[in-house]
Amino acid sequence: MSAAVVSVRTKSASRVRVRRRVLLFGAIGLVLLFVLLTLSLTTGEIPLPAGTALRALVGLGDSGDVLVVQQFRAPRAVAAIVAGAGLGAAGCVLQRLFRNPLASPDVMGITGGASLGAVALIAAGASQALIPLGALGGGLLAALLLGVFAWGSGLAVTRLVLTGLAVQAGLAAAVNLMIVRFPAELAGSALQWTAGSVYGRTWTEVWGAGGAMVLALGAALLMHRRLAVLDLGDDSAGALGLRTSAARLQLLVLAVVLASLAAALAGPVTFVALAVPHVVRFLTGPPTVASLVLAGVTGAVLLLASDLVVQHLLPIEGLPVGAVTATLGAPWLLVLMLRQSSPVQRGRG
Amino acid sequence: MPATPNQLSTEGLDLRYGDRTIVGGLDLTLPGGAVTAIVGPNACGKSTLLRGLSRLLAPASGTVMLDGADIHRMSARALALRMGLLPQQPVTPEAVTVEALVRLGRYPHQRLLSPWSAADQKAVDEALERTGTASLRDQPVDQLSGGQRQRAWIALALAQDTELLLLDEPTTFLDLRHQLDVLDLVAALHAEAGRTVVMVLHDLGQAARYADHMVVLKDGRLAAAGAPADVLDAELVKSVFDVDCRVIPDPETGTPLVVPKAGAVRRSAATA
Repeated sequence: MSAAVVSVRTKSASRVRVRRRVLLFGAIGLVLLFVLLTLSLTTGEIPLPAGTALRALVGLGDSGDVLVVQQFRAPRAVAAIVAGAGLGAAGCVLQRLFRNPLASPDVMGITGGASLGAVALIAAGASQALIPLGALGGGLLAALLLGVFAWGSGLAVTRLVLTGLAVQAGLAAAVNLMIVRFPAELAGSALQWTAGSVYGRTWTEVWGAGGAMVLALGAALLMHRRLAVLDLGDDSAGALGLRTSAARLQLLVLAVVLASLAAALAGPVTFVALAVPHVVRFLTGPPTVASLVLAGVTGAVLLLASDLVVQHLLPIEGLPVGAVTATLGAPWLLVLMLRQSSPVQRGRG
Repeated sequence: MPATPNQLSTEGLDLRYGDRTIVGGLDLTLPGGAVTAIVGPNACGKSTLLRGLSRLLAPASGTVMLDGADIHRMSARALALRMGLLPQQPVTPEAVTVEALVRLGRYPHQRLLSPWSAADQKAVDEALERTGTASLRDQPVDQLSGGQRQRAWIALALAQDTELLLLDEPTTFLDLRHQLDVLDLVAALHAEAGRTVVMVLHDLGQAARYADHMVVLKDGRLAAAGAPADVLDAELVKSVFDVDCRVIPDPETGTPLVVPKAGAVRRSAATA
C-alpha cells in the first residue's frame, strides 16, 4: 500500500518536472517569437513605436504606417515564422524517421529539389501563386530520386545521406544552369530566391503556402503516434498493426511537403531543419509529441531572428536570410559529423 | 476440425529470405488455449517461423491461418488486435520510459483522432502490475537490467491485450533466476488470463516444463510435434540435435528432462 503511494508520488514528481520544462521552453519560445515579431514590425526604413506598429497591423492609425506594416513587414515576418516552423517540424520528423541526427531536408536534397521546381516556374514566367506548387513538385521529385537511388539498400541511413548529398549537388547544378540561361531580370529574382529569402513576400504567397503548412503541421501531429511506433523497430511495429513501409513513406512525404512549403516561402534555407531538433532534444530530452510542437516554435524563432539579423544588423544591403543560416549551419554540420563518427557515439545504430 | 479458438495453423508453408528457403512445406497446427514451445537447433528456422506466423514475413507459398482465416487476408490492425509479438531483440527507443513504452502497446486500439482513453490507461496499468514493472514506470528502459527490460517488453505485448501471444526466445540473455521469472509469468498469463502462447525456446527441459505442446524443427522442416512427454525422447534428440542423451523424468515435474551422455558433447560443442 505504502509502496504504491510512493510509486505514484515519484511518478508525478518526475513527470511534472519534464512537463514543466516543456511548458517553460514553449512559453519562452512564444514570448521570444512575439518580441521578434514586434521588432520586425517596428524596425526598418521608417521606425515605428511598438504600439503604433501593432495598431497598424490591425488597420488602425496612419494609412502610411498601415501600408508599411500590413503590406511589407507583416507578410515577411509571417513567412519567416511559417517557414521556420515547417523546417523545424520537417527536421524533427526526418531525424526520427531515419534515426540519424544528420537527416534534414537540406542535407537530403529535398530543399535542392524544391529550389529547382520553384526556379523552373520563375523561368517559365509563372505567377507567384504557383511557386509553392513548383517547390512542392521539385521536393517530391528529389524525394523520388532519393528513393530510387537509396531504396535498394532498404533505405540504409548512410546511403540515404550520401545519395541525398549527390541529389542536392545535381539539383543545385541544374538550378545554376537555369539561372545562367535566364534573361537578366528573371535571373536576378531567381538568384535571390535560391539563396533563401523572405524579402518581398506578399500575402498571396503567405496565405497559400501558409495555409497548406498549417494543414501539414496538423497532419504531422496526428501522425506522431506512427513515428513513435516505428521507433520500436520494424518487427514490433508490424506486430502492433502498423504497415511499416507505408507509414515510413507517408511520413517521408509529409516531411517533404513541410520542407517544400517552407522553401516556397523562404527559398532553400539551410541549417534550420538540421539544428532545431538538436536544440529541442538538448533542452527537453528524448522526442515526444511535445518536441514536435517545440521544434515548430524554435524553427520560427530561429528563422525570424536570422531575418532580423539580415535586415538590420549586417552592413550588407539585401543579404538573404539563407546566408545567415548557412553560415551558422556549415560549422554545425561539421561538428555533428565529427561527433557521429567518433567511436563513443557509434554505439547506437 | 473444430478447435478451441486462437488456433494457428499452416498449410504447405514456405518461408524464404531471397532465394534461401528457411522453412519448407510446413503443415502445422498450434492448438488454441495452450502454451506451445517451438524448439530446434540454431538456424533451424524457429524465429523465421514465428515471423511467418505473425505476418511479418509473407510466405513464398502456402498459408498461415488463425482459426481457419488466412492471416494475410486480414488487415494488419485486425491481426494486431488478436496477436501480440515480442521479437527476440526488440529495439528500445532511446531514453523511453517503461510506461511510455508500454503505452505503445495500445496502438492498434487507437484511431487517428481518438484521445488516450480510460480503457487504454487501465490496460497499461494492468500490464505494468502483472509484469511487476509498475514501480519502474518512470525509469528509462535502456537503464534497466536485462530481466526488468524483458518484463517491460512483455508488458507492452500485454497492453496490446491480445488472446494470442508470440514470444521469440524470451529468456535469451537472462540468468537462470530471470529466465524462470519470465517463464512463470508466461505460465501465469496462460493459467490466469487464458492466453494462448507460442514461444521459441532454446532449453528443452524448460520447453517440456512450461509447454503443453511442442514443435520440433530441423532444417526448416517439422521433425516432431505433440505433447512434450510424447515427443521428447533420446532418439529425437539424437536425430535433431546430434547429441547422445538419456531422457529422464524431471524430478520436480515429471516432464521429460534431457541429460546428455558424458562425452557426447565433444562433437556437438562447436554448434552449441
